[in-house]
Amino acid sequence: MDRSKTPTISSLRHWGIVIGLLSLATIVGLLLEPYVSLTSQAMIYVLVVVLAAYKLEWIESAVCAVGAVTALNFFFVPPRWTFEVESQEHFIALTTMLVVALVISRLASGLRRETEVARLNEQRARQLQALATELSSVTTPQQVQTLGRSALDAAFAGPNALVLADSIEGLARAEGLAPAVLDGMRCCMKESAVLGPGTGRWPGLDAWYLPLGGREQVSGAACVRPALAADEEGREHAQALCALLAQALWRLRLTTSMLAAQGEAQRQQLQSTFLAAISHDLRTPLAAIVGAASALQTQHEKLGPTEQKRLLDSIASEASYLNAITENTLQLVRLASPGLVLRRDWESMEEIVGAVLARMRPHDPDHRIRASVPEGLPLVKGDPVLLSQLVGNLLDNALKHGEGTIDLTVSAQPQQIQLCVADHGPGIAPAEQEDIFKPYARGDRSGRRGAGLGLAVCRAIAQAHGGRLTLQSRVGEGSVFCLVLPLDVPQPVPELP
Amino acid sequence: MTLRVLVVEDDREIRTLMQSSLSVEGFEVQTAVTLSEAMALLRHSPPDVIVLDLGLPDGDGLQLVREVRRQQSVPIIVVSARHQEAQKIELLDAGADDYLTKPFSVGELLARIRVALRHRGTALAAAVTVHELDDLRIDLAAHAVQRAGAPVHLTPTEFKLLARLVRSAGRVVTHRQLLADVWGPEYTEHTHYLRLYMGQLRAKIERDPAEPRHLLTETGVGYRLASD
Repeated sequence: MDRSKTPTISSLRHWGIVIGLLSLATIVGLLLEPYVSLTSQAMIYVLVVVLAAYKLEWIESAVCAVGAVTALNFFFVPPRWTFEVESQEHFIALTTMLVVALVISRLASGLRRETEVARLNEQRARQLQALATELSSVTTPQQVQTLGRSALDAAFAGPNALVLADSIEGLARAEGLAPAVLDGMRCCMKESAVLGPGTGRWPGLDAWYLPLGGREQVSGAACVRPALAADEEGREHAQALCALLAQALWRLRLTTSMLAAQGEAQRQQLQSTFLAAISHDLRTPLAAIVGAASALQTQHEKLGPTEQKRLLDSIASEASYLNAITENTLQLVRLASPGLVLRRDWESMEEIVGAVLARMRPHDPDHRIRASVPEGLPLVKGDPVLLSQLVGNLLDNALKHGEGTIDLTVSAQPQQIQLCVADHGPGIAPAEQEDIFKPYARGDRSGRRGAGLGLAVCRAIAQAHGGRLTLQSRVGEGSVFCLVLPLDVPQPVPELP
Repeated sequence: MTLRVLVVEDDREIRTLMQSSLSVEGFEVQTAVTLSEAMALLRHSPPDVIVLDLGLPDGDGLQLVREVRRQQSVPIIVVSARHQEAQKIELLDAGADDYLTKPFSVGELLARIRVALRHRGTALAAAVTVHELDDLRIDLAAHAVQRAGAPVHLTPTEFKLLARLVRSAGRVVTHRQLLADVWGPEYTEHTHYLRLYMGQLRAKIERDPAEPRHLLTETGVGYRLASD
């Protein structure tokens, strides 16, 4: 705002204006001579003095006032073309005019300075307000830094600098700054105080060094130029800008730590419900196995052959159930890990369904599952082990929760392939339809067995393939789970040797 | 002559279980806890079948498979957990004969050993040329395939693929092995050929291609022609 050109050029121009104004007044006075009296000519000079006082510095306008009186005396006051003053009256008039001119120029330049200060203050207040508004919507420290730099550059001629650093050591990472600037920043951060001209600390510096934030929480430092000892308002403005930036950074830090705390609490909550549910799911089949095995151990002779077979069957089926839970738990953990890489290859849905059916049939003695897979389906790019697990889980659930037939259908659509498993079970109430995909989202699952984890794994597998798993269900009619996989990669060219 | 099985397994319970169930079936069972112990036993008294667990304390078994394959054609059955796919395939490609996924039943273990023993020595003896199961009959020498008595027409590549599976009937053949043997070593990454050709073969010889009886998929590993 108070950016001025180099002082010499500007003052030369000012002196030129003084001479120009005086010459102009003299020429006008000479031109008007036939028509007006000496009083009017004096008024022209007074006008010029007022103009100069308003536009120029006090010393220049004072010189202009003296010059005006001198010129009036030389050119117009008799005896003309001399500096002598003939009559006492003219002498008094000239002296009065000199005093008036000096007073006017004093007043006018004071007024001008006040106006300028007021305008500068208004601009600064407006800048602070604008910066505060902009800072209220930032989301990263980088944005704060960018806004802060442009605000400093708008307010001060510079070169300015702004560095964000959580600690004094953090300053070392700042690039492209002179060692002297870094030293100043380090010092102002250490002392949590402004350094530089007019501050009483390190007044010999050519810049102000301002810390961002107070003693408890320093988040960076700024270096502002030009710094004049007398420019208290400029320094206060720089401090106000830095305070705003520090506040914004503090707000960001609070938000981040609050979110982290929330996330951690949520994770712990999830983990404990997960553990509670999984230990329930593991303990139930284990109890059945231990019960059956101990019965065979202690009452072996008393049990009839049918009873023995029943106990052995129960051990085998509970163990295979335990195996399924373990597989699903491990798979869920693996799918949630950040570095997951799918072993994707060209796979045929017909083969995946075939392999799953071969595995399921021993658990489906009545052939409740009816598969319908059309010929010539496009291939999908996927992880076959995961896709088989998904289809297996869906069929497993359908066998467990429904009665009657289960229809497995695969169909190809223009951009996607769809696999649906429809059962005629009790159906799922609308309120629960989203929850059943969450891994143990519901705390209480007593009485029902590990369906929650299986579907969570299914959905995770579908999503890992860029697809989705949907559910349509009506209470009393049954449920239809559909896996939709995108066919976004062009099919392999079937030119076969 | 009793057949000798070498079980390499570090878990005591599973080792004991395999030992007792194989002994009951009339096998002479040797057990080893580590790979180095297994190597020592191999040199001392060569077995007829090796059952090898993945994830032993002193290595992943690849070294043992290579060592055995250098001199002997002893069948090797790899036992792995489900997530050890990559290791399992590596061992199969290195020359192991078949695999079992933990947890497995005793019935499955015995079936695998039976198939492995049936193939023992086929590298030297005349290869199997006729495969018959249910309504399917494949005669490699006559280049003829029949389903329920009716001839099935196969393209040359389809026949080559089927013949490769017949020669290993009952055993898993990995994708890589099939691609290398049928199309050539430079095609080992072209798994989509297999998907497409298997689809065509199933459509020709299976009663219900969606639930195959003969051409079984070993998910993520390869294919197996059912033998019983």
